[in-house]
Formats: sequence, structure tokens, C-alpha cells
Amino acid sequence: MMAAPPPIDHDDPTAFLHMPVGKNGSGAARYAAAMQCYNNGLICAEMLEIYRRCSKFDLEDPIDLARYEEITVPAVCLPNQQEPTS
Amino acid sequence: MDIKTRDVSIPADWDRRGLPGWCYHSDALLDLEKEELFKTHWQIACHVSDLPNAGSFVSFDLCEERALVLRDASGELRAFHNICRHRGSRLVTKESGTCPNALICPFHGWVYNLDGSLRGPARPESFPSLDKDVFGLRPVEMEVWNGFIFLRFRPGPQPSVAEMLAPFEAEATAYRMASHVPTDGIWTEETPVNWKSVRDVDNEGYHVAMAHPALQDLYGSSYQDEPYVDGVSRTVGQFSPSKGRRWAVRNYKKLSRPQEHLPEDLHQKWLYFGIFPNSVIAMTPETVLFYQEFPVTVGRSTIRSATYRNRDEDRQQRAARYLTARIDRETVDEDIQLTIWSNESMASKSFEGFYLSDLEYGVRTHHNHLRKVLPVYTLEDAPEQADLAALNASMQRT
Repeated sequence: MMAAPPPIDHDDPTAFLHMPVGKNGSGAARYAAAMQCYNNGLICAEMLEIYRRCSKFDLEDPIDLARYEEITVPAVCLPNQQEPTS
Repeated sequence: MDIKTRDVSIPADWDRRGLPGWCYHSDALLDLEKEELFKTHWQIACHVSDLPNAGSFVSFDLCEERALVLRDASGELRAFHNICRHRGSRLVTKESGTCPNALICPFHGWVYNLDGSLRGPARPESFPSLDKDVFGLRPVEMEVWNGFIFLRFRPGPQPSVAEMLAPFEAEATAYRMASHVPTDGIWTEETPVNWKSVRDVDNEGYHVAMAHPALQDLYGSSYQDEPYVDGVSRTVGQFSPSKGRRWAVRNYKKLSRPQEHLPEDLHQKWLYFGIFPNSVIAMTPETVLFYQEFPVTVGRSTIRSATYRNRDEDRQQRAARYLTARIDRETVDEDIQLTIWSNESMASKSFEGFYLSDLEYGVRTHHNHLRKVLPVYTLEDAPEQADLAALNASMQRT
């Protein structure tokens, strides 16, 4: 039996930022979280726009799109806080 | 005032006429009804159990207005106009669903927190700094009564829902309807009649013996209508002692059993509270439900309804609830036909209007409530449509 996923912390925007690609409603949830990260100075407007473009498509990975468009992906966007990539 | 002190007596010599026929096919009157009845009177949007989690929402459209009710991150219920502050798009486009952490406008992508404040506009660098509250969603007045969520788009003449329904508070609370849970969602159907024809049929039980064999079999002999008093009517059907001749009724009577939480006098009753102008909350031992009708055009209406059940339900109760729904569905279909026949008569130059029985006094009191809000209903002949609003306004002043 699979373990139940941990409950989402509504006060932590990154919890929604890392919602798995493909999960129902995840595109919108990631974009909403990205807006919070933008407000907190954690991501730039360019990266926020990537999340906006992916917001209606739960299967679209914003990290993949950012890399395709050669936008530096901020650390906060990466699972487990990896080093920024481009 | 409590349930015992409401004056529900029928006067000895009452005016048995209904509304004039023109009231059922006047576009100018419908415009007034939308503005001064529907938008200014309490409407049932849903039940608290329709919003189980943070981000759960229900949308509610009424007479060119649109609202959304949601549960925010702290569990609080909130109601907003379903209108983005940027260009006015709908924020939620489905009848119900979940938006886990925010509301996002599907047009340009403005993002709102679940408390309605603006999280941020799309392409924020293209705007000056926006105040999150000034650009937040506009709230809609909301009240929760025994689990039902009522909305009102504009202030109006009614008191709070709790005050209006105070005479029935003890009776309603006994059903523990606030802890009920959804059954099969919110149901809507469009019907080709003026909304008042739906209400006229629903506001009297005189037709039950003739038109609703299942209801007659269930409780017809005991059916009692109390008229609208201060915006609320009450109807009671006590199960008749017979076993029931019809399959659904016979088995319902066999399976329905006293609910432990209900006082004995409610063990075998179906009970209805009519809430002016267009809503009903109905209670059976197994379920509570609401239904209502809204105008779409002068000759089309939307009927909207949802049923909720006791949280803990065993197989027998479930079967009884199924039979309740079956009896109810049969009754609704029969009523829809009656509303069509009644409505079409209103366009006939040969029909001289209602002549009501004492058993239809509820229709008259509903019409009296309408006349109080819009005195133009008292005119026997249709006024010039272009003058109707101004005429009504002048009648309100006198």
C-alpha cells in the first residue's frame, strides 16, 4: 500500500510550486504558488511568466519549458532546492 | 413570534383572485423582478457540506449576477462575486470544484488568495503597485442557516435568514441538517414557463389528490399548508396509516424508521419551509433538500435542487432515501406538466384569472408578498411596458 502524501502546508508557497506535474489542477496551483514566490522576491518576472503559460496544462512541466527557453531556473523552483540550472 | 403564535388562519372573506395574466409574460416586469426580488432577497446557494476542504467552491448564477462560495485556507466560508477585478471574467467556470491554493482568472491569469485578496496580476511588471485589498474580490452578503448557505446580491427588505426562520428554528435544528452530507450534487433543469407558474403550483396542496398519486398515498389525507407569513410558509405531510398502494410508497413506509435524533412528532412527516420569493427547504426523516426556481427569460425558468442525507446511514436508510427520491422525482415531473398548463393559460385572452380555494390560500399570500414589493402587480390590465418601472416607482411612493 502506498503511503498517503503529506498534507500541503498552505503557508508555504513552495509546497504548491512543487506539486507533481500531471496531477489534476497542478498547473494552476504551481502558477499561484509562483506568484507568491514572485511577491517574496524568490523568482523573477520571466520565470513567473513561464508558470503562467503552463497554468492551464497540468502535464506541462514549467522547469522543462524554462530550460527550453534558456531561462535560468531559480533554486526555489527545483525540488529539494537543487542548484540553479539553465 | 414562534411556530405557535404565527397567524396562519384563513380570513372568512378573502380576495380569491391571483395575479393578472399579464404579469406572467411581461419583459418589463421581469426586469423589475430581477432587480427588486431576486437580487435583493436571500437565495440558497448550497450547503456547507458542498465545500468540504480548503479551496472547495460552488458557483451560483442568478439574473445576470454570478457568485462563488468557497472555503478558505483557514476553513472559513466566503462568498464573492465571480468576477475578476481586471476585465470581469469568471474566475471559476465550473459549477463546483476545488482550487487548492488560489483562484486564477482564466482570461489573463490574475491570482487571488482564497480570502479574496489579490495575490498578484499576471505580468505584474506591467502594472503599478496594486493594493491587494482594493483590488480584491468583491464580497457577496452571506448567511449560513442550519447548514444552508444563503446569498444576497444587494441589500433588501428581508431581515436575516435566522430572524426570518426563527419560528421554525427548533423544528429545523432537530433534523441536524447542518451535519448532513451531499447525495448526488446540485441538479438543474430548464423549464418553459414563467418562474411564478412554478411557485404557484408549489404553493398549494389542493392539487395533490388529483395530480400526485404517490404523495397522496404517502400523506395526502393529512396534508396541511400554512400560508406565507413574514416571508415564510410551512407545509406538513404526516404519513397516512395505510400501508401504501403504490410500490415506492409501500416500501418507503416499510423501510423508513424513526431517526433517533428526531422528536417523535417528526418521525413520520415530510416538512417544507417555503422562503419568499422562490425557495423551499424540505425535510424527511432521511434527507433534507432545497429547491428553487429562477427566471431565465419571461417564459423560461431554471429549477435548481440538491438533496443531503444523514451522515451515518445504514442500508435500510439508504434504501428509504432512494425511495424518497423516487417519489419526489415522480412528483416533480407531474408538477412540471401542471406549471406548463397553468402558464399557457396566462397568455390566453379567454382566461379570466384564478379563483382560489381556501386550500390555495398559500398562493394568495405569496402573491400578497409580491404585491408588497412591486405594487405594479395590483394593476389588472397591463400598463405600457415602457412606463412600467416608473409607474411601479410612483406606486411605491404612495
